[in-house]
Amino acid sequence: MSSQRRIADLSGIVRAHAPVSGRAPLGAEVVDRLLGGGLVRGALHEVRCDHAREIAAASGFLIGLIERLHASSGRVVWVVDPATSFDAGTLFPQGLAQIGFDPARLVHVLPHDLATALWAADEAVKCRGLAAVVLQIRGNPARLDLTATRRLMLRAQENGGFACVLRQSAEAQASAAVTRWHVRAESSAPPGALWTPPAPRWRVTLEKNREGRTGEWSLAWNSECKVFEHAPEIRSETRSAENSGPRLYPSAERPGGAAQMGQVVAFEAAS
Amino acid sequence: MARRKWGKSWRLKPRPEAPPIAVVDTVKNTVRIVACDSHATSHGIKIDQTLSDARALVPDLECTQNRPEEMKALLASICEWCGRYTPLVALCGTDGLFLDISGCTHLFGGEAPLIADLEHRLKAQGFSARAAIADTPGAAWAMARYGRFAIIAPGRQREALRDLPLAALRLNEGLVSDLAQLGFKTVGCLIDVPRAPLARRFGQDLLRLFDRAMGDDDEVLSPLMPVAELTSEKRFSEPIVHEDDILGTIDRLATSMLPLLQRRGLGVRRCEIKLFRVDGQVFRLAVNASAPVRAPKRISALFRERLAALHDDLDAGFGFDVLRLDILHAEAFDEAQASFDAPRNHEDEQRVLIDRLGARLGTDRIRQFGFADTHIPERSFDLLPVLQASSRTGSSLRGTMPASVLMSEETAHGLTRPLLLLRQPEPVEAIAPVPDGPPIRFRWRKALYETRHSEGPERIACEWWRDGRGAYSRDYFQVEDMAGHRFWLFRHGLYERETDAPRWYMHGLFP
Repeated sequence: MSSQRRIADLSGIVRAHAPVSGRAPLGAEVVDRLLGGGLVRGALHEVRCDHAREIAAASGFLIGLIERLHASSGRVVWVVDPATSFDAGTLFPQGLAQIGFDPARLVHVLPHDLATALWAADEAVKCRGLAAVVLQIRGNPARLDLTATRRLMLRAQENGGFACVLRQSAEAQASAAVTRWHVRAESSAPPGALWTPPAPRWRVTLEKNREGRTGEWSLAWNSECKVFEHAPEIRSETRSAENSGPRLYPSAERPGGAAQMGQVVAFEAAS
Repeated sequence: MARRKWGKSWRLKPRPEAPPIAVVDTVKNTVRIVACDSHATSHGIKIDQTLSDARALVPDLECTQNRPEEMKALLASICEWCGRYTPLVALCGTDGLFLDISGCTHLFGGEAPLIADLEHRLKAQGFSARAAIADTPGAAWAMARYGRFAIIAPGRQREALRDLPLAALRLNEGLVSDLAQLGFKTVGCLIDVPRAPLARRFGQDLLRLFDRAMGDDDEVLSPLMPVAELTSEKRFSEPIVHEDDILGTIDRLATSMLPLLQRRGLGVRRCEIKLFRVDGQVFRLAVNASAPVRAPKRISALFRERLAALHDDLDAGFGFDVLRLDILHAEAFDEAQASFDAPRNHEDEQRVLIDRLGARLGTDRIRQFGFADTHIPERSFDLLPVLQASSRTGSSLRGTMPASVLMSEETAHGLTRPLLLLRQPEPVEAIAPVPDGPPIRFRWRKALYETRHSEGPERIACEWWRDGRGAYSRDYFQVEDMAGHRFWLFRHGLYERETDAPRWYMHGLFP
């Protein structure tokens, strides 16, 4: 083997194992175009949902994002704030496997309180070689403010790691994250249609995008190819019955502000 | 007890005017004296006397209820403290300790200085203790309780014990009085007597205890604490208080052990530091490593996290005068040379992270999935501590997911298993057609949901070999509500065949 060929081989190896940077395309063309080619790897992102019952949707979407990073060997550190675990349940390995995520990669970190959770997330983001670091929290705690998120962001940028805050039952809040995604459940079939258990699908709003415009789409997850796809719109009668008329946004480019937090599920007894 | 009553300076003040103290307990339905101080003995109070008799002698006798549990805990803490002399410390009954000091005496300048140091320090803590050194535990026991000398020279047990009463052989009272009736009063009487008739008359126990005291039979001590594979310690003439000093010392101790580890080809999996505070308190801090480590920096980094997690719980008080680093568990260290071609997956860095998180948060808070081969969803997996998962291969939970639960061909597109499983199935109020229809409307966590689509049932039968007969099977339904939330619900029990009023439970959420 000539030395030139050998050098070419070696430089190929070096390139292959160089720190992965750049962007991870999601697979859905419209979203990728808005994101400028895909999700930034070395950065902090945020995924939130309104209610505890939608945490599965948000987690599923986040796992999809992690799968799109193509860091199939690295571990995923999932730091869980104790406040969330009470009503969210735990990730179910069989469900993870059906989405296409290997549950053996997951390392759960269960700290006593939010302060240690933040510390653990900070430490994990500092560590190279992890596929992703997820900090799952509940609501909008004051401790995770702009400063704390900025620190996570800087650490992620230094190491080229993927960090994500998963907020459950939370309002939109200013943070240093590059993108913020609002995930809601979405009907998978019109009423009366023949129904089989569908692939994961969501109504996803890109609420914040530092590098471009925002938008709202229906996305579905293809577990076989591990890509996001644009899902066909389902005409939902109840949705239009609830809100008479289409949703009007105050600005042409940005979706409307967050809906009122919480949901009134039962009134006090009138006595 | 005295300290609680008269404060910390109780030893300094002579209190001849104070009444004698006794500890009482109910023995054979009578309140009797269990222990008393020397002051009480001088008034004629004896152990096993009833309290009323003692009160007749000394009307103002101070009595305290005997609390055996507390005494046991106290003895255990003294036992731990004695770890500063030797790692092999064993409890002896309810009022004694055995210290195996073979090979340790030269560290204290010999046997006599060791005993003097031990007695002095215990006295400073407010305990009056008698210590003796001998070849055998039995002889030391006898000397400490009945003898006059503290140290028996090697091989001189027979001469030393000759004049002691027979009770010094740890015989029970009945045996001692039986022997006394036959004229055997001292240990010396037994030495020259033929053994066979003694054994026939009094049983093997007598001879065994005799042999053990004399060193003709081995006695095995069971140390209270596990003995470390390697130990290194540092004594300070001036006690240390600051965390940085402690960490620096750990670093030096780990460095001093490095050549030993290298020679044996070992790496540390679990190690512990013991901090001996000057007032006798002993703190133990242990850390685990997910893979064998050797670098002193990494060991001290783990302890840095461990100390940081403690915050103020580690009360240094007046400082620590002995610091010991014990390696409790070591494994073969894989000497690997990083090759240029090998993919750098930062595996080592990830291990350091897991070790650090474990040291700070506690090892049981870093978890990984473990799997079991069962169809009941909540039993099919568990979250196991990462640092123990490797050593638990013998249990029913395994490192890999059984093939039975993995995605099969026909479910390649849709999901049949939820992404989130609730900790416990939560009861819901549901309206469902009988006998086996899906819920039409249900109320979960106070919110009402209406079903639009549903799929099911998928029946998962109970595990009768675990739950017993009569456990209900479950019919699982995947249900989508009007807003598009997808739930995993089950009906607990088959209608009419198992129960008349089956209940509904929410068990999981789909993405």
